[in-house]
Amino acid sequence: MSSTQDTERARQVLIRALQAAYPHANVPRGPYERTADKLIADAAGSAYNQAILQQGLSDLDALADGDFVGVSNAEGYKILKRIEATPFFGYVRRFTTVALYDDPETWAALGYEGSSFDKGGYLGRGFNDLDWLPEPRITEYDGPVKFVPIKTSTGA
Amino acid sequence: MATTKGSGGAHAGAQFDQNDDSVVVVIGSGAGGGTMVHDLTKAGVNVVCLEAGAFFSIDDWVNNEWEAFGQMAWLDMRTTSGSWRMPRDFPNLPAWIVKAVGGTTTHWSGATPRFHDHEWKARTYYGRIDGANLLDWPVTADEMRSYYSTAEDRIGSTHTNGRAPLPANNNYFVLANGAEKLGYLYYATGPYGTNAEPYDGRPASIQDGFNFQGDKNGSKWSTLVSEIPKALATGKLDLRPNSHVVQITHDASGRADSVLYLDADGTLQRQKARVVCVAGNSIETPRLLLMSASPQFPDGLANSSGQLGRNYMRHTTGSVYAQFDRPVHMYRGETMAGLIADESRHDPDRGFAGGFYMETLSLGVPFLASFVEPGLWGPEFTSIMDSYANTAGMWIVGEDMPQETNRVTLNHAVKDQHGLPVPNVHFDDHPNDVAMRNYGYQQGQLLYESVGALSSHRTPPYPATHNLGTARMSERPEDGVTNAYGRAHDVPNLFVSDGSVFTTGAAANPTLTIVALAIRQAEHIVQSLKAQEL
Repeated sequence: MSSTQDTERARQVLIRALQAAYPHANVPRGPYERTADKLIADAAGSAYNQAILQQGLSDLDALADGDFVGVSNAEGYKILKRIEATPFFGYVRRFTTVALYDDPETWAALGYEGSSFDKGGYLGRGFNDLDWLPEPRITEYDGPVKFVPIKTSTGA
Repeated sequence: MATTKGSGGAHAGAQFDQNDDSVVVVIGSGAGGGTMVHDLTKAGVNVVCLEAGAFFSIDDWVNNEWEAFGQMAWLDMRTTSGSWRMPRDFPNLPAWIVKAVGGTTTHWSGATPRFHDHEWKARTYYGRIDGANLLDWPVTADEMRSYYSTAEDRIGSTHTNGRAPLPANNNYFVLANGAEKLGYLYYATGPYGTNAEPYDGRPASIQDGFNFQGDKNGSKWSTLVSEIPKALATGKLDLRPNSHVVQITHDASGRADSVLYLDADGTLQRQKARVVCVAGNSIETPRLLLMSASPQFPDGLANSSGQLGRNYMRHTTGSVYAQFDRPVHMYRGETMAGLIADESRHDPDRGFAGGFYMETLSLGVPFLASFVEPGLWGPEFTSIMDSYANTAGMWIVGEDMPQETNRVTLNHAVKDQHGLPVPNVHFDDHPNDVAMRNYGYQQGQLLYESVGALSSHRTPPYPATHNLGTARMSERPEDGVTNAYGRAHDVPNLFVSDGSVFTTGAAANPTLTIVALAIRQAEHIVQSLKAQEL
């Protein structure tokens, strides 16, 4: 990015783009910010990625009449849909699919509990607490119907 | 000593001289290699095991999907081609397997169904299918029964030989109730290779999930926690982690005589050998044999048939993730402790040959985001993720057709970190595979609808964990690479000891069969050594 001001502007555009591309009512701003920062840091390792990121973010501003930061998720989605085939968006998508969902704050928002061995597993912590279906059989079927592994055209 | 991953392995074992040409060299330490190492050393044979990966202990494993992936997965460069989705979605990750002592048994979930009898004779029972290179196995179902039983005891498979079943976890509640509604009968929480009760010195499951990440509790069978330590205790095993084999050499008579490998420092070493057993999984095994081409074996070692690297199979798979209006928490508990066998029958009236299993499967949020529908984004994607806690998942896993053109070749245009040509994996679905997958998706979605799913998603195949068939067994040398014992048709003291020998794939998850075949092969080698035939 060309200057500190541009960098912060670009960062805000990126955060808005991530929220519009991956809208979750329950995921707070933190994971989006962290994903944006990781993405900017990742791009810094490659002149190509840095270039497509910078160009892509300024394109987003241009497509939003100069202010992508101010668009709604729905408006942002429409704009992103127009550029989804670009290398810029492909890079952002591949990176975000990993980084945004590898964040414990995202896990908590979506109802995933993360590591379990350190807590003794789920043996006494709900591995079988589903209460809206009857308890199923766990042993193999031993009733009267015989398993027929081969059906031939003659029905044998 | 170069810095290497892993705890370094507080493993005591034998140390054999590199010029000792009386040793059996086993390449790889997963389901096939680990079993070979165990059975050979128990019989008193001196073994050098060369493992490309590092030695991790269960204390090194982590309950974090991406971190564990970075730690365990085979991430050496590979390329892909063909009409499957992998070249677009994961172009350098055709397979999801492990590079570590214990191989992919550290990653497997644990489902251990046997082959059905007819699946050993696919050509006979399925008939001629256009484009499919079907062949009957040179091994029969009757011959395999006792080896299956031994393999189940090794692994400690639940539901078999008197062992208890695992209890139902949340994901199984949904699968089994849906199965009942659809009229399926043959569902259960196994057979499954994780202890329901303490067995073989290892504890019962604490339902911690993270089966794919090594299983820190040690309840899951792997060669890392079972065969390898037992073999080391014999004093007959020289285990060399971080040893990447680059070539098998042979003498003027065409017998394998040594193995060239790169040690942890990247230095080329030579280990002499009386017998060589290759168990590098179905991509690395043919790659190594192709890289071992010589004037006497110009198309690759043991490739007079031209079948080496061909007939690559990965099982016909797909997943269904279904969203409900109430909590499921599918990630709690044993990942794959639930299967339905009804569709594993051969019934051409469904529009395809062969069968498939439906098995519980759970991914955490990190993996589900990457794999539920690669490339999908926007509200359609986030609505799937928003339902995570209310989601149930199943895997469809069935027999795919062997095709000559589905193959592993050397890609000389791309080199790995050692400067070696990378393997290219070419794959096109056979029409039979497509028909089976679509039928499986349909049945999976119907199953979940029958217990109230609000929606469900057809997830495409993942990078394959079931890689099979690139050095297949055949009765006649012109039809395959190895004989009924996995012995190379062309090289009398060269064996293939992994899933590469599968003549056809069957519907069953392959680990149990790989172990059973390795037990049988080790017995054959020990007898042949005693009889001075090797």
